[in-house]
Amino acid sequence: MLQVISAIVVRRLLLAVPTLLLLSLVVFFVLRILPADPLGMLLPASATPADAAALRQQLGFDKPIPQQFLIWLWAAINGNLGISLNFRQPVSQLMMAALPATLELSFAGLILALLISIPGGVLAFVLYQRKREAAADLTVALMQSIPSFLWSLLLIAAFGVLWPVLPFSGRAGPEVALPGLTGFALVDLLLTGQFRGLVSVASHLVLPALALALGFAPLVIRVLRSSLIEAAGEPYVEVARLRGLSESRILWRHMLKNAALPTITMIGVQFGFLFGAALLVEMIFGYPGIGNLMVQAVKGNDLPLIQGIALIFCVLMLAITVIIDVLYAVLNPRMRNL
Amino acid sequence: MTDEFELAASSPRDRRGWRMPDRRQILLGAVSMGLGALAPLRARAEGTDKSTLSIAFPVDVPTWDPNALSIPGIQNLYATVFDSPLRYSPDLTLSARQITEWKWADDKATRLEITLRDDILFHDGSRMTMEDVKFSLSDRAKADKKLVVGGMLNTVSDIEVISPTKAVMQFSRPTPTAPIYLAFLTAYVVPKAYMQQVGPEGFNAKPIGAGPYRMVEHQRGSRITLEAFDKYWGGVPLIKQVIFEIAAEASARVALVESGRAGFASQLPVREVQRLAQKPGLVTKIYPFSEVYMLRIPNYVPPMDNDHVRAAMHLSIDTGALSKAFYAGVAKPLSVMAPDGTPSNVPDFKFAFDKAKAIAELKEAGYGPDKPVSFTLLSTNGVFPNDYDMARAIAQMWKAVGINATIEETTVAKLIDAAQNSKLAGPVVYSWANGTGDPENYAGRIFDPRLRFSAWKDMSLSARIDKLMTEVNEQERIAGYKALNVESSEKSWAIPLLQGITTVAYSAALEPTLFDNGYVLPVEMKYK
Repeated sequence: MLQVISAIVVRRLLLAVPTLLLLSLVVFFVLRILPADPLGMLLPASATPADAAALRQQLGFDKPIPQQFLIWLWAAINGNLGISLNFRQPVSQLMMAALPATLELSFAGLILALLISIPGGVLAFVLYQRKREAAADLTVALMQSIPSFLWSLLLIAAFGVLWPVLPFSGRAGPEVALPGLTGFALVDLLLTGQFRGLVSVASHLVLPALALALGFAPLVIRVLRSSLIEAAGEPYVEVARLRGLSESRILWRHMLKNAALPTITMIGVQFGFLFGAALLVEMIFGYPGIGNLMVQAVKGNDLPLIQGIALIFCVLMLAITVIIDVLYAVLNPRMRNL
Repeated sequence: MTDEFELAASSPRDRRGWRMPDRRQILLGAVSMGLGALAPLRARAEGTDKSTLSIAFPVDVPTWDPNALSIPGIQNLYATVFDSPLRYSPDLTLSARQITEWKWADDKATRLEITLRDDILFHDGSRMTMEDVKFSLSDRAKADKKLVVGGMLNTVSDIEVISPTKAVMQFSRPTPTAPIYLAFLTAYVVPKAYMQQVGPEGFNAKPIGAGPYRMVEHQRGSRITLEAFDKYWGGVPLIKQVIFEIAAEASARVALVESGRAGFASQLPVREVQRLAQKPGLVTKIYPFSEVYMLRIPNYVPPMDNDHVRAAMHLSIDTGALSKAFYAGVAKPLSVMAPDGTPSNVPDFKFAFDKAKAIAELKEAGYGPDKPVSFTLLSTNGVFPNDYDMARAIAQMWKAVGINATIEETTVAKLIDAAQNSKLAGPVVYSWANGTGDPENYAGRIFDPRLRFSAWKDMSLSARIDKLMTEVNEQERIAGYKALNVESSEKSWAIPLLQGITTVAYSAALEPTLFDNGYVLPVEMKYK
């Protein structure tokens, strides 16, 4: 098993190099040819075109784009992703400060999505071809048609304003000082034994994570339901019945495990959706993650920062692909021989 | 086929006959307990702690180097942490702050004598002197061209330090408006010794100013926590802790103030402010400030070079209707590029909405209902309140006289890029911020064809604007700008639409001071 996992990881890592290079190239060129001035906010109202040209030269934006790319690439290989134009800080430093918050939020969103979608998918399957099937379908369709940013606003209205029981701004209350050991607030507070802080962070996480989860869960519900319907017709289900196993045991122990394979693939493919949705969700909730940083970078046309964030998203997606491949190999014995 | 999977309708009972809670009840119980644990949050949201104020604010501070960027929206925060040499009072009068006196030492406006207070301490306890002023407003700009302060004070050649509290600012050319820039973007004094010791990156991580509040914590994109500075020269601020909750989304700012989690919120949608006005315990204001909404016109795009077409565009816009439709009638219609009460406003001059005259002007240009004039109208969406809606309304007004405008949504970065390359596709719906109210920063910048973002490229205006910028006789300077304002409006080089508005909502327990330049300064707020 370990050999198979190692082979998968090595294969994926080898593929990651050209993928990252290609993505960097595409993002770099697209950002440079967009008709938007990266110096927009860096010059005062009294600046002349000559002032702009001087600054452009100072920042290296006057060089041919391929040359700019090679300079950037060489620096990136050496761990330097450049300096943010607006924040005046190293891009890597900004991203490392924001990334743990986004990962924490995304994983919390994923866990909540699974808590909603696994029982939801099973329920949708149970209701298949029954009276309440239409109601279940309608509910899922309705959930699917509401994007995460709209869920954010609905949740804020419900639990922040009408029934103000949950916070909806920031990562923790102002009274909580985040230790900053790993950057993952929940982990850091747990490690330092600050349980009041932990409650604060957890309560701040509920609404944005739920907004992400509610946008993501319907996809999982649909795939899981379809997979269960398919699995219900498999011979092993009939065999299990003949062996006298209860229907719930067949469902939870056998069918769900087999139906999980396509669901896991879909979750892996769609995990990028969570990151994408986090862009707006973080902005709405004032959550200090990569999404929030990206919105600010795009608003300020901060090319080095946009480039860096695109790169980190790509790395994350590649990492998720590896994890999904490994999980697939663990769950599906046939994959181990490939 | 799936009937078999139906879950048991009743819950099992334990040996004593008690009914065991089913999974649904357990789940609901857990949720209730969780929410119950959060109940104190609700109490906090409803109470008023008079030592703390949360402000729901739309913009974050990209860098704490206040000399670096000239973003209007963050000046509140810079002024709160760094204070400013001079400051505009709520009614836009230039007033003493860190600098107590300023006077010209010559009659050419090239040497400005300034006197600094002798009781200003930075947050690290060190005293502010003229060396810090010279470093911040002159030396830094020369050493690092990326600092915008160099562009804002581009005629400062040196600052001659006479004593710790006396200096002479020297200018490379007559700069009669120099004092206004000591109360404007980027003109903040930073501690020289500390900046040199930690460098810009270290300063950004832990900024030290001399303002009424010191920065305690900054969670980027989320929250800025400030604490009252007990050695502030103006006295300890009444509110001890101020938290800026960064909420870029307007709905989130509305929710923060509506739920009581923020005591003050700014830049809210007009319709939301009208709704919040009905809520007990909240006070709302929609008020005009020193910003101008306008149409900027690139004269290099046909048919914008046609005087009659521009006149028709101008005459056919009912600015009063725009104000009523989108700004609750509070945004005052403008006839010139200067709001009411500012020095270069011309109250006697009115450019009236006249549809019939607009049609006649179009006819003069050879256009009419059978041969409509067509062009692109550029507009941002969400950069200032109802910008895109206003563009749509203007397009409809134009359509009624025979002008077909296709609206193209754009961004500020794209606009700047297009403007500096003289590639604007058509007129632009634009908002012009000017925290000083001085005409140099309205017409003086808007019509200067040499500036990279200028739209109206009439090079013959350069000499006229240069003369105004160096005019030391204040009456003549203002008269010159008034004449420029009237001529530019009559000839429609740009179309002034409305005085900008801003909106706030705050707790009825709070007494804020509202500034005519839109500033929101915690040091000028107190609880009743």
